[in-house]
Amino acid sequence: MSSDTLAPAKPAVELEGITKRFPGVVANHDIRITIEAGTVHAICGENGAGKSTLMKILYGMQKPDEGQIRVNGQDVSFRTPSDAIAAGIGMVHQHFMLADNLTVLENIVLGAEPTTAGFLDAAGARRRIRELAEAHGLRVDPDRLVEDLGVGDRQRVEILKVLYRGARILILDEPTAVLVPQEVDELFENLRELKAEGLTVLFISHKLDEVLSIADEITVIRRGTTVATVPRSQVGSARELAEMMVGSELPTPETRESTVTDTVELRVEGLTMEAEGFRPLPRGADLREFLHGKRLLLDDVSFQIRKGEIVGIAGVEGNGQSELIEAIMGMRQAHGRITLGAEDISAWTTLRRREAGIGYIPEDRHRQGLLLEASLWENRVLGHQTRKPARKGIWIDRKASKADTERIVKDYDVRTPSVETLALALSGGNQQKLIVGREMSGEPSFLIAAHPTRGVDVGAQAAIWDHLRRARAAGLAVLLISADLDELIGLSDTVQVIFRGRLVAELDPADITPEQLGGYMTGAITEEGS
Amino acid sequence: MEGVDLLSKRFGRIAVGTVAGAMLMAAAACGGGGNTSAGNSAAPSTGAASEPAKASGLKVGLAFDVGGRGDKSFNDAAYAGLEQAQKELGAEIKDLSPAGDGSNRGELLRQLAEAGYNPIIGVGFAYGEDIKKAAQEYPDIEFAVVDSASNAPNVTGLLFAEEQGSYLAGVAAALKSKAGHVGFVGGVENDLIKKFEAGFSAGVKATKPDTKVDVKYLTPDGDFSGFKAPDKGKIAAEKMYQDGADIVYQAAGDSGTGVFQAAAAAKKQAIGVDSDQRLTVKEADLQAVIMTSMIKRVDVGVFQFIKAFQGGAKGGKNDVYDLKVDGVGLSTTGGEIDDIKEQVDAAKKKIVDGEITVPSKP
Amino acid sequence: MMPAGLNRLLLTVGGAVVAIVLALAISSVAILAAGADPVAAFGAFFDFGSTSTSVVSGIATVINRAVPLFIAGLAVAVGFRMNLFNIGVEGQYRIAAICAAYVGATFTAPAPIQIAVIIVVAAAVGGLYALIPALMKVGRGVNEVIATIMLNYIAINLSAFLLRGPFQGPRPEGQLTVTTADIPESGWFPNFNFLFTMFGLPAPRGAGLWGFLGVAIVLGIVLWVVLERTRFGFDVKASGLNSIAALASGVRPKKMVISAMVLSGAIAGLIGLPEILGRTHNFGTSFTAGLGFLGIAVALLGRNKPVGIAVAALLFGFLDRAQGPLQFADVPPSVIMIMQGTIVLLVVIANEITSRMALRQEERRAARQLATTNRVEVTA
Repeated sequence: MSSDTLAPAKPAVELEGITKRFPGVVANHDIRITIEAGTVHAICGENGAGKSTLMKILYGMQKPDEGQIRVNGQDVSFRTPSDAIAAGIGMVHQHFMLADNLTVLENIVLGAEPTTAGFLDAAGARRRIRELAEAHGLRVDPDRLVEDLGVGDRQRVEILKVLYRGARILILDEPTAVLVPQEVDELFENLRELKAEGLTVLFISHKLDEVLSIADEITVIRRGTTVATVPRSQVGSARELAEMMVGSELPTPETRESTVTDTVELRVEGLTMEAEGFRPLPRGADLREFLHGKRLLLDDVSFQIRKGEIVGIAGVEGNGQSELIEAIMGMRQAHGRITLGAEDISAWTTLRRREAGIGYIPEDRHRQGLLLEASLWENRVLGHQTRKPARKGIWIDRKASKADTERIVKDYDVRTPSVETLALALSGGNQQKLIVGREMSGEPSFLIAAHPTRGVDVGAQAAIWDHLRRARAAGLAVLLISADLDELIGLSDTVQVIFRGRLVAELDPADITPEQLGGYMTGAITEEGS
Repeated sequence: MEGVDLLSKRFGRIAVGTVAGAMLMAAAACGGGGNTSAGNSAAPSTGAASEPAKASGLKVGLAFDVGGRGDKSFNDAAYAGLEQAQKELGAEIKDLSPAGDGSNRGELLRQLAEAGYNPIIGVGFAYGEDIKKAAQEYPDIEFAVVDSASNAPNVTGLLFAEEQGSYLAGVAAALKSKAGHVGFVGGVENDLIKKFEAGFSAGVKATKPDTKVDVKYLTPDGDFSGFKAPDKGKIAAEKMYQDGADIVYQAAGDSGTGVFQAAAAAKKQAIGVDSDQRLTVKEADLQAVIMTSMIKRVDVGVFQFIKAFQGGAKGGKNDVYDLKVDGVGLSTTGGEIDDIKEQVDAAKKKIVDGEITVPSKP
Repeated sequence: MMPAGLNRLLLTVGGAVVAIVLALAISSVAILAAGADPVAAFGAFFDFGSTSTSVVSGIATVINRAVPLFIAGLAVAVGFRMNLFNIGVEGQYRIAAICAAYVGATFTAPAPIQIAVIIVVAAAVGGLYALIPALMKVGRGVNEVIATIMLNYIAINLSAFLLRGPFQGPRPEGQLTVTTADIPESGWFPNFNFLFTMFGLPAPRGAGLWGFLGVAIVLGIVLWVVLERTRFGFDVKASGLNSIAALASGVRPKKMVISAMVLSGAIAGLIGLPEILGRTHNFGTSFTAGLGFLGIAVALLGRNKPVGIAVAALLFGFLDRAQGPLQFADVPPSVIMIMQGTIVLLVVIANEITSRMALRQEERRAARQLATTNRVEVTA
């Protein structure tokens, strides 16, 4: 633990019973956190657990529906980030908000320019920045252009910017996401100095080993609410923390009959995607050489799914899952070969792939799966414009589409006043059931299910699982991607672990251990499994 | 909520984007109209119509072209003639300006006709076609059009011998030029403006044959933007002054301002056009460079037409206002050409007497 | 659910009415500030003259003005529906108008053929001109707003060049305006004066009620059907509402951008035809400019829907007609611009508010009807 456990009794920040509702969903529910002054407090949880909403509330970007925020023992109510800044709270965003063609000094004073009789007091500002930089060990030359700085330096500028505005409480949102290991070490060094100066740091991350190396206390958020706050000393390993994040114990997979057949439905071979954007491979060139030295989002991914099989992809988010889905759907170009049934579909359009029998439950239903301002039946048509029952020559068959939407509403228990209701009026669970019903209705031979139960209530979750199992029994091949390990282990016939764009292990969910899974997911175990 | 949020953000963007677009539209499409109306609201147009006609129910309607009244030149001169008719002939008068896009010129003529105005005058050659159509619809009403020829039995063309006035401007320029080098800036290279050039050149050459005349038109025939491009006018004149010209004559509408600016900057002189621009131009430094102006008495033309109408004259002909009737001439404000008055008057007399025939084509 | 739709409609119309009343109030202040009488001003808008001929002529003027505005609004709306800002309608219609007028004057054929050829040429030229920014956007990611603004300048200057150059028609001695050659009489669109005379009313003055009105109505209906009932229309709607979801559903964004822009440009190409076929029979220096920009305001006002655009175009036509009467009433005619501007601005704001209200209501209604729904849910 840090040396200042004897600091004054008043905590820097207290959050009590914070609740934030959006129509149909609760983003934060009864969040309770106490952050002691002069400590580094980590908040961790899976993507979508509610971390970002919580930070927006603390930084005045959103107002909580219920609950109380106290800063240094005082009740506060923030209307805008300026209120939060005035209360001494500063935020360092994940994506830097700096103007490239201004100097460090200009960036730091931007929006808080010190003036002497209306003129910019550059000398005064420079002096202050020097003081701050020296006091906190944040070495930056104030007169350099930001565009000449490296990522680590830019982050220091962001931190200085916040300090310059008088912040005593710093929120760092996923600060290490963009840093290389040495830069991470430097950042942590800076954070320790800040802490020694008596500042309070709120560190948001899902990188567990980093959390463990910097935090004094750790709060775990899961499904919108605080699971626990524990001192660092009481956490033994990253795995313990992982268990807290995904559920206290990993469930044993239900015993059930395997429906896996011998027929391969989907085969993916050598799927490789560049971070810089797709460039066609010159004729006769070697792919490995062509891509040498490039950052890869997908690196030689190969696997196959048989009829009646569910293959689960486990991995910490951002390791290539989205890219894998988009490559299979034909939304992003990639090198490699994708075969559906007997046909090579690598060069097909998204539409043709869908028509050939690929169903797709997208990971973010609002962004990728729905027309929120359109009716349910129009959402039923989405992705099925070229097929019965939606199609009638050049026309949309409204009557048949509505009738079929009625069927989905009934079969999938979508709770809605009617099929004319706008999609945005439905709760998340009902929206998701509609999507599942829609994607199943094309009688797909292969289904991509990305986070199929994220953000839905328990009842809907069970129903969606049932539908997936039934379809699997009927011979559907499913690619399941989920951050919920219960779901992944419970449903999959095979689990593949993805790490930095590579499939690093193929595991049998029947004898999987949380340690193993956590180890592969965080890159602690690197050799090929099973 | 995320959905609604997203939605409102997008709507917001569309709204902002399109409102900005609409504003742009307003500014772009109706720039001319805005000016017109500003000019209108500032001018005492109320007095014009509400004063009861003193005499025999003479009702005179006048329609401007886009950018009409308030130009301190051509259009205001037409209005002066109209006001004169109100004072001296007891006419009830009404003047209208079209929409910024000029889409309703014909409509204005018809509205004047329906409201019982007779005669009706269209100011500017753009009215040529519309007057013709209106004249056919209202055969009992007399029309006149300034700067365009008669094209129906009840249409009078009010034309001006610009070449004669320009000849005198040429005489003055040749006499006053110390460098033996003068210039001419025309707004649009059409037949009307070519008359100015022809007269001016003839005047210069007749007076001092070795004087050099630079000629520049701002836009080709059919592109009327040359009449409202002071920036182009300035560049053209700057070039002439740099090349050694010391007097530049402009027949370029609003673009003439640019010529005066160039003259002021080069400390050289310029000759104005249409009205006595030494009086109408607001800026004192620009006034000083205007040696003289070739005045086109649109006010005389308008007034004479109304007077003739009262006297029972009919259309189907062109009334040409030349030196003989003082329809064109040189202004003497500022006294800069007083010293050469004799020579100018002599040239004028020769033209009036028919000794000299001024060419109307260069 | 009819009631939900009806509710939305009532809210929209109510919002628009409130906005227009507010706009009138603001305009009154402006009129007072200009030293004129608001009552006289508003009277002028309804002063259609005393004779039945002048009333009929006034109505024809309103409609003749509304027809090109309606077409311009449709052209802009097609792009708007896909979040494409085709600012280039202005350039597209001018270049299309001069090409159509030129081609129409080069031959003589029976009226239906002559007119059909002119219309097809106009649509083709407009569509092709709109293809340029579409390809730039699809191929190089050039923002269509910037591309179309630049292309407007090119189109305006190019049409000015063509007019005084290769496309210039004969002109009588002493005429300073320049036009293309006149389209032969078989290419004159018959007027629709029978709409008045069949009720025993006199025919309007001038060129009468332009017959292109009929084409515009058909165009509006066809466009509504295409956008609301066909698969293409669905793809347009999906792309506009959520381009990522549309992509995931198999809609090809590049194809959609190209087809929507070309359709928008083809419609834009027709904007100049009511005037050319109905009145001037040529493209000249006094051709009405700026309709493309006005189309943006009309589309906004009409919420990108054909019926709304028709109402908005008629409103603009009604206001524009008062140019003369306002001056007779000694009110500066810039009042029209002020009114149009404030109406557009306030209606856009009202639309924003009412659409949010409608969505809220819809959510609440759904929630009420499903009072049993499990509320304990967690966000995505």
